Amino acid sequence: MQSYWFGDVGEGRCSAVTGDVNAMVSRILSLSTQLDTFTPPDWQQAVACGFCSDRADYLALLQAVCIAAAERSVREHYSGKDAELLQMVRTLDEMDTVVNLLSERAADWYMVRHPAFSRKYRRTPAHILVRTMRENSRGALGKVAGEIGQLADTRTALAKEVSARANDVMPNTSALIGGLVAARLMAHAGGLLPLSRLPASAIQVLGARTALFAHLKTHTPSPKHGIIFQHRRVHNAPRDVRGRVARVLAGKLAIAARIDYFRGVAVPEFLEQAQNRIDTAGKGDGA
Amino acid sequence: MIWIGDVLVSRGEGGVYNERMLGGARVWEPYRSKLAALYHVGKGVELEPSLRVLYLGAANGTTVSHVADYTEAVYAVEFAPRPMQDLIEVARRRKNVIPIMADATRPETYAPIVEAVDLIYQDVAQPGQAAIAIRNCLFLKPGGYLILMLKTRSVDVRKDPAIVFDETIAALKEAGFIVLESVWLTPYHQDHAAIICTKPAKPGE
Repeated sequence: MQSYWFGDVGEGRCSAVTGDVNAMVSRILSLSTQLDTFTPPDWQQAVACGFCSDRADYLALLQAVCIAAAERSVREHYSGKDAELLQMVRTLDEMDTVVNLLSERAADWYMVRHPAFSRKYRRTPAHILVRTMRENSRGALGKVAGEIGQLADTRTALAKEVSARANDVMPNTSALIGGLVAARLMAHAGGLLPLSRLPASAIQVLGARTALFAHLKTHTPSPKHGIIFQHRRVHNAPRDVRGRVARVLAGKLAIAARIDYFRGVAVPEFLEQAQNRIDTAGKGDGA
Repeated sequence: MIWIGDVLVSRGEGGVYNERMLGGARVWEPYRSKLAALYHVGKGVELEPSLRVLYLGAANGTTVSHVADYTEAVYAVEFAPRPMQDLIEVARRRKNVIPIMADATRPETYAPIVEAVDLIYQDVAQPGQAAIAIRNCLFLKPGGYLILMLKTRSVDVRKDPAIVFDETIAALKEAGFIVLESVWLTPYHQDHAAIICTKPAKPGE
């Protein structure tokens, strides 16, 4: 017997499915097929079954069911808690780029209006510079500077949200490396499931794509760290042990990501142990 | 295929992706679509109103919409949810596009839906492209065609595209396909090749 979307066919008999589109969608999403004994469906069988009246009817019904099934699959795919976090992280990173580009450009413009102005020997934070530009500039430049300020505020608010959401969606990974970096790792992997399936060695160099491919193609030294460089234990470590710290941290992150995906709650015993191991990695006795 | 001068077009409802119209027909750009590029550089397979097509790697449904203009029915398989949303919209506007959200490496998940087809068109960004074609050939009628768009960079970025090309052709021959034509899609697409095969009728059939 063969099960098709319109019904079951076999031994000269055929039973057409009954029920609405929703029921038919559930049925086709659950069908499993043995390919070695399989023959594709034939619309004339469906007509003989009494399922539909002709070819056009067959196609119209099939299309209605398939569109409904595809819509349901898309909806399910987006229902995971990580789907929105992924977009939030990517928006955040994009906003960083935009804010930086715009401030650089506005500063250049400002310097044309104020030939005596220079940033050298001054430790002016970026947001103070933007405020100065807004207050001292008339017309469009002042407005642009104002917009940059607004954008920077929105960015800060978004970063907080990302961090909070990451603590909720991936509690173990966030506890080890911070919500923001955890969320970035997840975004680079393409989701929590793909991240949980990555080996530690891949997590270690996630975000160092250029260096990794340069290594694979032309045998330059391999990258020691990607995004996880942003963790203080890695970038504060002395150069000669940085690779080791990155490796140990990546190993623990790989485990944390798996706990996050399969259990979804923080595991204090694991976290404490992992944290100790990461802390000792840079001190020479953890090799 | 319909040509207006040296411009490839298809006849159908326009405005799918803001495509240019020419004499009431939709211009099918070779720089945007690899299948259009194939018709520009090689012979391809003549699309006819009676054809049923299995389209693997349907993406946003841009090329799908042109294929649907020419043929009777298109089974469009796509795995990623983002492009699927666009593909569903294309399907809503065309009677003969059947969208299927599934992984082309696992034909068992869509087997109960897809009829026997005259043409399999495959354009997937995955390694193991020959294996995907071979797994899906159970849907292909004897004497039907396979057009495989080989993205050599998706198979292995480190390998020379020419070697990937040769290996894929060897794998297809091994599986019993007869290779009719194989061309690179330059200048329209870099490191992409088209391989056109047919599946011979089994002796005794």
